[in-house]
This record gives sequence, C-alpha cells and structure tokens, in this order.
Amino acid sequence: MFEFLLNPTFQTWIAQGFLLTVEITLFGVLFGLGLGTLLAIGDIYGKKPVKAAIAVYVEFFRGSALFAQLFLAVYTIPAILNVQIDHAILAFLVFGLNSAGYQKGYMKGAIETIFGDQMQAGLSVGMSKIQTLRHVILPQAYRIVIPSWTNEFCSLTKSTATLAFIGFMDLVGAGRSILVYNLEIIPVWIVIGAIYFVWITGFSKLMDIIYEKKKIPGVELLMQ
Amino acid sequence: MDVWQQLIFLLEGVPLTLSISIVSFFIGIVVGLPLAFIRVYEKEVGFVVDAYEKIFRGVPEIVLLLLFYFGVGPYFPSTFGNAFFVAIFVLGLRSGADQSQIYRGAIRGVGDEQMIAGMSIGLSKWRAIWHIMIPQVFNFSTAALGSEYALLIKDSAYVFIIGGLAELMKRATELKYTAGDVVTPFVLAALLYILLTFPIAFWLDRWGNRRKKKIGL
Amino acid sequence: MTDFVMEAKNVYKTYGSKNAKKAEKADTDTCAGVKHIVEAVKDVSLQIRKGDIKLIFGPSGSGKSTFLRCMAMLDIPDKGEIYLGDECLTEPGVDLNKARARIGFVFQHIYLFRHLTALGNVELALRQVLKLPKDEARKRALDALTEVKVTDCINKYPSQMSGGQAQRVGIARALARNPDIILLDEPTSALDPELIGEVIDTLRDLAKEGKTMLIVSHEMPFARDVAEEMIFYDEGTIVETGPPSLFFNAPNTDRAKKFMTRIIKRTTRE
Repeated sequence: MFEFLLNPTFQTWIAQGFLLTVEITLFGVLFGLGLGTLLAIGDIYGKKPVKAAIAVYVEFFRGSALFAQLFLAVYTIPAILNVQIDHAILAFLVFGLNSAGYQKGYMKGAIETIFGDQMQAGLSVGMSKIQTLRHVILPQAYRIVIPSWTNEFCSLTKSTATLAFIGFMDLVGAGRSILVYNLEIIPVWIVIGAIYFVWITGFSKLMDIIYEKKKIPGVELLMQ
Repeated sequence: MDVWQQLIFLLEGVPLTLSISIVSFFIGIVVGLPLAFIRVYEKEVGFVVDAYEKIFRGVPEIVLLLLFYFGVGPYFPSTFGNAFFVAIFVLGLRSGADQSQIYRGAIRGVGDEQMIAGMSIGLSKWRAIWHIMIPQVFNFSTAALGSEYALLIKDSAYVFIIGGLAELMKRATELKYTAGDVVTPFVLAALLYILLTFPIAFWLDRWGNRRKKKIGL
Repeated sequence: MTDFVMEAKNVYKTYGSKNAKKAEKADTDTCAGVKHIVEAVKDVSLQIRKGDIKLIFGPSGSGKSTFLRCMAMLDIPDKGEIYLGDECLTEPGVDLNKARARIGFVFQHIYLFRHLTALGNVELALRQVLKLPKDEARKRALDALTEVKVTDCINKYPSQMSGGQAQRVGIARALARNPDIILLDEPTSALDPELIGEVIDTLRDLAKEGKTMLIVSHEMPFARDVAEEMIFYDEGTIVETGPPSLFFNAPNTDRAKKFMTRIIKRTTRE
C-alpha cells in the first residue's frame, strides 16, 4: 500500500512540498503577528478614520473566503495593474495579510486584558504611553496571546493546502503529483494527512510547553 | 458577460453555499454538544474526544475532502461518491470538533454550581444537563458559534476542489473561463462572502450579549 | 519662585457624565455603575511645602482618590491649576511625562508590573525615564528596595509576594527616582489586616527621613502619630483642616465630628 514512499522522486516532492508549507506558514503567522500588533494598537489609539480603515481591512480578510482572496491576489491584481508579479510573493502576502486580520483581534484582546492598571502604573513612574506599551504592556500581551497564536498557526497551516490549487507544489500539490502515477489513492492522502498532523500537533505541543514556561502567573486572556 | 449577468450567475450558487454551511453547522451541534458534556462529565472516555479533536485540528479539510471523495468515493458511490455528502461529512465533523471545544469552555463558564443545584432538586445527571446546562451553554457560546458559522460559510469554498458542486467559489472560477474575466468574478465572490458572513456573526453576537444581560451574566 | 512643592488651585473634576452617555449607547456592562454624575472635586485648593506630611481622610466615595490622581495628572482636572514647583501642569503643551517623573505615586491596588521582578519593577523607570546606565540603575533600585526592607523579594515576581511586600515594592518604585513628593492613594486599604503594619512602618520611616508626602488614608493610628496636618474631605470639598490633635479631640465642624465619632467607635471596637 505504502510502497510509493520508497520512490525517491516522490520522496523529493513530499520533502519539497513540506518545506514550502512550513515556509509559508511561518511567514504568515509571524508577519500576521507583527502587522496584527500594529493594527491592534492603531485600533486602540487611532482616530476615527484610522479605526474605520482597520475595521474594513479586518472585515475583508476575515469575512471572505481565503480562496477568493488568493484568486484575487494571483489573477485579479496583476490583471488590473497590468504587471507580471511572481505568484509566490502574492501568495505569501495574502497569507500574511489574512493572518494579520485575525491576529489583530487576538492582540487587541491581550492588550486590553492587561491595559488598565498597568498603563496607569507605567504613567505613574513617568513613562510615556509609548514607553509603557513597549516595556510593560506588549511584553505581557505577547505572553498571554500564545494560545490564540498557536490556534492561528493551526488554522493557517491547514489553509495553506489551498496553494496546490493555484499552481504551487506544496504538500497537497505533492500528493496530487504522486497520484498521477500512483494508482492507490487512499494511502497517499493518508500519508499527506499524517505529515500535516505530525507537523501541526508537534508544533502546537512545543508552543504549549513554551507557554507554560513563559506565562505570567495569574494572568490569562479573558476572552471567549 | 457583463457584471450583472456574472452577479446573477454567482448568486445562483449562494443557496448551495448556504446549505452546505447550515447542514454542516447542525451536524456540528449534534456531534459537538454531546461530546463536550461527555468530555466534562465522563472523564474515562475523554481521551477519545481529545483524539477526535486533535485529528480535525491537525489535518487540513482539503486533504480530508480529497481523501474521502477520490479515495473512498469509488467504493461507496452513493455516499462518498456524492460531493455534497462528502462536503457535509468533512465540514460537519470538523465543526463538531470546533464546537466541542466551544461548548466545553461554556460549560466551565456556566459553572458546576448550576449542575449541583439541578441535582439538589432531584434531577438526574443527564436531565440536569438537558434542562439546566444546555440552555445556559448555548447562551454563553453565541459569540463563538457566530464565528464558527462564518468559518463554515468560508470553508464551503474548499468544496470546489472536488468539482461537482456549483457553489459560489466554483462558479467564480468557471466565470474566469466562460467570461474571460479575472477581475469581476473574484471581486464579486469576495464581496458576496463578506455579505454572507458579516450580518450573521454580528447579529448572533448582539443577540448573545442582550440575552446575557437579561440573565445578568 | 514658589515656596510650595505642589499646589492645587481651584480644581474641579467631575466624572460619570461622559461615561454615562457612552454606557447607554454601547449597551455594555463595562460602564455599569457609572451612570450617574459624580462631582468628585469641587473647587479644591491645597498647598504643600517641602517636608510636609499631610493626610486626606473622609467618607468613601467623597472624591479623595480622584483629587489625588488629579494632583499627579493621572486624571486631568476639568478646571483649575496644578503646580509642581513653578511649573503649571494644567497648561496645554506641558510634558506630563517629565512632570510625572518628579512625582512618586503609590496605588491602592499596587499595580506592580506583573512580568517583572521586584528589582525589575523599580529599575524600569530608572533606565527608561531617567536614562541611567545599567549599574547605576541597579544600585539605586537595590537601595530603594533595602530602604523599604524587601530585600528578600528582589528576584520575586508580584504573584509570588504577599500584599504587604508588593505594596512596599510599590513604594520603592515610587521612591527610586527621588521624586519631589510622594502621593499615596489609600496604600493599605487593599491589604489584609496583618500586613498593614509593615507598610505603615515603612511610611513612618519615610516621614522620619523628611520626605514630602500627601496621603489619602483612613488609618487613624498612623494619622495621629505621623501626619502633621489632617484634611477632612467630604462630598468633593475640603471641609476642615488642622493638626491631628484637633480632629482627635474636638473638630470644629459637625461633619468632621460625626465622622470622627464613627471612626473612633469602629477602632475601639476592634
């Protein structure tokens, strides 16, 4: 059943596919974390037009299907601008921007959980709002947001499977290529599924351990 | 094809999108609610629920769709060979895993005292769950359920990869060829998804907040 | 050149009105309870000279804490002026951060930086606000912590300390910058009774060292022993001021009389 795993070509495809999946996932969640933080701060401190722009951004990326966003990026945007853009760049960007849309919510929740008294305390020792954000609030926010971030990581990884359908050789792409030659369908998808499973579950477990170590005793995200 | 014709073509796919997501959502309730209570109140079987949740957290829906439709489908043509069935099977079970987590959090949020109070007036464990816990659990979970539902609407788009179902996303990709247009279909599709997800999540959230205030949560 | 370390002139502060409107519109329960207007500070003036130790006391909800926070510009007064030395803090364009760096504030609920140790809590402002180099900041922080006698907590996190230890770290944090004045907002009210003593002792020591302090508190024994002037604050205004002996023996106003009798009854019952 699983003989196809012995084929070196197939092995290369799987390995490369896995690599691409990992790359785009990590880029997406980290870019999303950075941009998400900025959006969250903008939402807390910004004036009405800024808040409105952020709301539109978030609603767009959270409200529409990822597939639609990918197609928009890969087909529509180049057509409108009349330029050839490397599909890889566009795809990476979509995942990053998409993740930022979700992570803005998590970061905002984390910041607001901590905000009240810690901002007061920071101001009381003479620090400015920005200094307090940087030295007091964000360090704590990043720690309590870890469970949500890990969740986002899981979602993002699973959604990268869409890449196979816009012409990329990710893990699912590898599976489809193998199936051109291999007759047995079920084993291939079981293997591909298992690889995702191990990667996602392993990484989550790692983040759980890190969270246990780094968490601030007594402070947790008060969010549903 | 002009914009309006494309729009109509896309709109014709919306009912299918909605039926996939609604049916999957209800499968999610039917699976997730009991599992949540089992996980909380019958600890021995808990690991089964954990395994179930872990699998759906760790394997992409797309892989499952491909596995069941193309892999299992040929052996069971009337069920797994049917695109709609596979769609609600995969998305419904996925939603069940998500909802199981949601309800678990809500059970903890509602609190054990409610169960104890229920049993103190003579209700058996499962009757107390039915009459006292479940109504409060739903109340508590409205926000999370709202976003779960929005998620299902968006994930229904995955279904286009197994062909066969002319829902919104599939129609958008079709228009790329039939109308030779790469701009309008995708812009319209994105907007339609937003139109579908925004109101529901928004209202469920408001409704939940209002009901919570009535009870004084 | 003013004589006063700090001065409040005709300060007004009302809260609740803006929040009440917001609360009704947003239909949330985060603003619940603030749906009525509270005139916390009504035309209050106060002068503090170097070395003064003044204590503000009065019924709860009278606005004492709000007034104190206005002094530190943690709440911005609606009307009136706050002076820190010659600088008027209520003028627009004033660098409030610089001003707050010269004021030490101790909170009722302590508000330590949860992600930092005691040492970290005290060092942070020294490094980020006074921009001291690492070793000097550390030395001053350790000195401050020694002064309040919490050296056994230096590397502990707030969640690992008792309330009394945490509050003393809070006092060290306020002291470390060598501020012109220390403002304390009910420093012992949130503590368990057996922990109050250690904080009071710390405050006594500070008083002996000649620090300028403005304290909001209802710890009467402390008031009697340490305060130089007591200020009775009720319903948004200063009703009566005088040395402790005045209040403990024969207050002039009826309101003060009533309040003191209630307090003394309570403390003798304990």
